[in-house]
Amino acid sequence: MKLSFRYIILILILTLSFTALQAQEIQFTASARPVVRVGEQFRLTYEINVEGRNFMAPDLSDFNVLSGPNPSSSQSIQIINGQVSRTVSNTYTYYLRAVKEGDYNIAPATIVVKGQRITSNALSIKVIAGNAQPPPTAARPSQRQNLQDNSGTVKGEDVFIRASIDNKNPWQGQQVIVTYKIYTKVPVSQYSMDQIPSYNNFWAQDLLDDNQKPVQYNEVIDGQQYVVAEIKKVALFPMTSGELTIDPLKVDVVAQIQTMTRRSIDPFFDHFFNDPFFGQNYQNVQKTLYSNTLKLNVKPLPLHNKPSDFSGAVGQFTFKSNIDRTSLKANEAVNLKFAVTGKGNIKLLDNLKVNFPPDFEVYDPKINNNINKNSYGISGARTIEYLLIPRNAGDFTIKPVTFSYFDPDKADYVTLTSPSYTINVAKSEGQTAAVTYSGVNQSDIEYIGSDIRFINIHPFVLHRIGSFFFASPQYLLLLAGTLLLAVALTLSWNAYSKQRRNVTLIRNRKATKVARKRLLKASGFLKTLDETLFYNEISQALWGYISDKFNIPLSELSMDSVREALVSKNVREDIMNPFIATLDHCEYARFAPGDKAVNMDHIYHEALDVITRIERELK
Amino acid sequence: MSHGDKYIMKVFRSMKGLTGVLVLMFLCLTLSAQDNAALIGKGNKDYAAGLYNNSIEDYLKVVRNGYESPELYYNLGNAYFKANDLPSAILYYEKAKKLKPNDPDINFNLHIANSLIVDKIDPVPQLFYIRWWKSLYHLFDVNGWAWFNVASFIVLLALIITVIISRKALLRHVTAWLAVIVLVIFFFSLGFSLQTYHSFKKANEAIVFNPSVTVKSSPSENSIDLFVVHEGTKVKITDTVGDWYEIHIANGSVGWMKAASVKKI
Repeated sequence: MKLSFRYIILILILTLSFTALQAQEIQFTASARPVVRVGEQFRLTYEINVEGRNFMAPDLSDFNVLSGPNPSSSQSIQIINGQVSRTVSNTYTYYLRAVKEGDYNIAPATIVVKGQRITSNALSIKVIAGNAQPPPTAARPSQRQNLQDNSGTVKGEDVFIRASIDNKNPWQGQQVIVTYKIYTKVPVSQYSMDQIPSYNNFWAQDLLDDNQKPVQYNEVIDGQQYVVAEIKKVALFPMTSGELTIDPLKVDVVAQIQTMTRRSIDPFFDHFFNDPFFGQNYQNVQKTLYSNTLKLNVKPLPLHNKPSDFSGAVGQFTFKSNIDRTSLKANEAVNLKFAVTGKGNIKLLDNLKVNFPPDFEVYDPKINNNINKNSYGISGARTIEYLLIPRNAGDFTIKPVTFSYFDPDKADYVTLTSPSYTINVAKSEGQTAAVTYSGVNQSDIEYIGSDIRFINIHPFVLHRIGSFFFASPQYLLLLAGTLLLAVALTLSWNAYSKQRRNVTLIRNRKATKVARKRLLKASGFLKTLDETLFYNEISQALWGYISDKFNIPLSELSMDSVREALVSKNVREDIMNPFIATLDHCEYARFAPGDKAVNMDHIYHEALDVITRIERELK
Repeated sequence: MSHGDKYIMKVFRSMKGLTGVLVLMFLCLTLSAQDNAALIGKGNKDYAAGLYNNSIEDYLKVVRNGYESPELYYNLGNAYFKANDLPSAILYYEKAKKLKPNDPDINFNLHIANSLIVDKIDPVPQLFYIRWWKSLYHLFDVNGWAWFNVASFIVLLALIITVIISRKALLRHVTAWLAVIVLVIFFFSLGFSLQTYHSFKKANEAIVFNPSVTVKSSPSENSIDLFVVHEGTKVKITDTVGDWYEIHIANGSVGWMKAASVKKI
């Protein structure tokens, strides 16, 4: 029906036009896009404005010929002021696909018009590396082509994907939630996530079930109303710190768009089919969408205040412990249960470090993870259950167990401590019966662990770095000072002893002289019989002699002490005794009875004699 | 802070001229000493509470103030050990040992730390007289030897003086022999002092800090790989070319490595 209608009009026009046919210039042109991408499909069109035959295409082996030559023709007739002008257009269309990068020349095509061979222009086409649009696969070419042709009608702002993150500055190990939302103005019949990002450096956990229907709501962006659907939600735990990137998510969507059918290439007839009766219908259009790339700056966990038992738990947690009984008999079992509950990377927690008394038999703990996923993140509980069997009776203490985590809200570490449990173990009945006293029950001290020794907590002296006593000014000063002191001491001692020796030497040498002088003087007094002066002179001669000779100060000499003084000077007995005897006689002679002259003469000679004897002895 | 400043200003204004400056200097000195003692106390408390990173911070502040002591280095080594930083722990134990060679605690903890590093190096056995020499050498620390040196010098001079001024032949004889012995002791102690002093000034020992370092046959990147050492290993630096060190390890092997991969003791 449609076809016959068309032909009637065509014949009518043709018959009208024959009368006004005019000769016109022949134009034979080739046209194509000058630049295409590898894998891209493009059209090569040869157009001639007269009827021709025997169209000969050039060599197109550089390209992949998808279809062609597809001939088509159109005519238009204009009647202006009774003048009829007819335009004929014959086209030969090729659908080509670029295969390799490079510059290609397409040689001219030829066609025969009224027995004359006419050549078209040559074309040069540049093929560049392509990545924008994937090449249509061979599997479903017809449908694909259809979609491809119309894809221009689904615009970028009609449907797009956005990835959002709830915290761009998390701590290392802190849970962040990434939500992928699809925004659309056109109905989307289906979507599929082609390529899920690998989430390098993260521990990722999907929060939505695959077969769960996405939540939909309306949102207005820039005055445009969109239907929004959350298609994917992931909880991510950064495993390292620093700048981290989350790759985009790739989603293929099939959108339903209103489209007009354009079966005919003839623009002249288009408006006939542009009414609601004909063209408008919905068409499925496939489009590939990429979400935005997310960047986040992960802060490393602070070193300050980091507890020694911290093992990477980040979030908010509670810590509970429970024991089923605290008094039992030996060889019976106890259950000790620890539970960590909270929000965070609970699956990544290390085992707790529990110190059991060494006499306990401990079995590997039963660990139970109960993880909840919801759209607010991951939370849950981990229970660790120990089975203990005390083998000996006694009171045992299970020390408090600590669990430390980093609280991102407080930006600090929190340490939770379980209570300590005291377990009273009574002797089991069987045990008492089986006790044997073998006597060799002793064993060496069992070393349970080894550790470094504790720090020095007593106050100690600090000194400047790089300051040493050796080679320091103080050290050199001390050495030089001691040396100087020693030299000065020796020199002064030498000088002193030299001087002293001189004095004693002089006195020693003079002693006899002085004594002789005194004795001479005394002999004068002897002649004048001046008793007092005589005895005075004699005693002075004697005392002065020993003082000078033996280097004893006069003040130290007296009748009582002379002996000791002489003994201490190592004076020989046979010298000392006559001397002391003479001194004695000298003291008593003046009071002695008898002739004064005889006594004086006697003393005089005795003194002279003893001095001469000493002189002789000491020589 | 501002309160303290005000107080110091008050003190400054009340004292005039040199006396004021002297008082201020004394105040600063005592303040810094108190600071250091407080920091060490805080570090010890944090260590006992298991906050090893905090105690490292505190101890290091004292070191940055320019003070050291074998006990401080020992505590730092312990804190690093507990914070699982073995190379740093070994570095500070070695520093402590250098200042106090015969401390049993330092040697014990250094031994434990060394038993936990990757490289197990059997040292080349030393000849007996070298061992004796070393044990003698480790009898005192650097200041101990210096004091010993000074004391022997004083005794030597006293003996020499006695020889000079004494009149008695026997006394002179005995003191002369004693003086010869003390002279030998004096030169020994001087030698030991010099040796320890130079070991501090040169700092020719280092600890490897890179997790693993390939030791090369010559100081260039494209020379032949000889062997691999790991963090915590002690090396002796015998030569320097550019940013390369020639190193000896305890088993006698020699090679070259980048200066950046070690820290000097």
